[in-house]
Amino acid sequence: MENSIETIWKNGFLKDSALVAPKLNNLYNQKSKHIVDKFQRMFKMNLILIVFGSFIVLIASFMVGLPYTGVPMFIGMNVLVFLNKKLFNSLKLVDKCKNTYDYLKAFDSWLKSQININKKFARFFYPFVFLSMITGFWMKKSGSQRIGDHAVQKLLLTYPDLQLVGGVPVVGVLGALLIVGILALLAGRIYEWDLKIIYGRIFKKFDELLADIKELRA
Amino acid sequence: MSSDFYTSKIVPYAAIIIKICRAYTNSKEDFEDYYQEVCLQIWRSHHNFKKASEWSTWVYRVTLNVCMTLLKKKKNNKQHFASDYVRPELVEDSHAFEDEQLNQLYDAIRQLSEIDRGVIMLYLEEKSYQEIAEIIGTNPNNIGVRIQRIKARLKKILDKKNGEFN
Repeated sequence: MENSIETIWKNGFLKDSALVAPKLNNLYNQKSKHIVDKFQRMFKMNLILIVFGSFIVLIASFMVGLPYTGVPMFIGMNVLVFLNKKLFNSLKLVDKCKNTYDYLKAFDSWLKSQININKKFARFFYPFVFLSMITGFWMKKSGSQRIGDHAVQKLLLTYPDLQLVGGVPVVGVLGALLIVGILALLAGRIYEWDLKIIYGRIFKKFDELLADIKELRA
Repeated sequence: MSSDFYTSKIVPYAAIIIKICRAYTNSKEDFEDYYQEVCLQIWRSHHNFKKASEWSTWVYRVTLNVCMTLLKKKKNNKQHFASDYVRPELVEDSHAFEDEQLNQLYDAIRQLSEIDRGVIMLYLEEKSYQEIAEIIGTNPNNIGVRIQRIKARLKKILDKKNGEFN
């Protein structure tokens, strides 16, 4: 090599068109694709884990004698997966040929509708999980008797005038209904909290990206 | 990013941003991604510019940091490592420049470590040792020695390459 690297560098760029800056109109394509793809991967993995978890719950519930908890939870979890799988399929219909802003807006709108549907579902799901747990423990056999019946008998010895509805203390029914009501009321928040733990970081990045694009278009 | 910001704050330094990004990438596609990411980061974080240094120094620092961060991310994701050294004949951009000697020099630079690439780019752009040290975040006393070492390595690579052809 006859020339020094300094000379090669200096002379090489004298008449070069390779220093023309690329256009910036494609600025957010890669980032948006990356974020949406990441979300889709996480969402899919989440659904797989719920299905896997539902089978573990089902098997474990039979092993520990709580089938009245396990079976409803198994059904509830799979209904949740079925619902979200349907929602996930609708995401695939979002036109990827749109420009980045429209694509992200469409994704954002899908996300909001998905969250709304899941929030509504959570109003039934969380109380359902609670009731199946109560039922499971109530029905669990302890010797020849169910735990629930055994507990009622013990309570009747202490409080003989205890009012029962279908063999269950009224106070207990009211307490359970109160918890069900609270769970139904707070279900949306619990779901959002749950969502934040799993997808919080990705949602934050997504919001930043959307805000950037909006500013860019302003 | 407003076009005013791009024109006044980035365009004057676009040439060096392009030169640096090319040293960290092997294809036109990667290069364009890196360039765009650098511009985006400069725009996003320009509020953090404290005027403790020159704007140009700050731009170079952001450029190098972005290039290295992108490589690290790709490494962590175990994706194709955009700046991994690959044989020049497999580098899509090995003929990016009209000047063949410059293409060979870039191929040689791509064989250096990430930090050394940054150091030599700044040196070739005639930045002072003090400025290079400030941008890289190291002691200016070490820069001179390091540059000599890098130049020797580049010369060796280029000589070997030319020896293969002669």
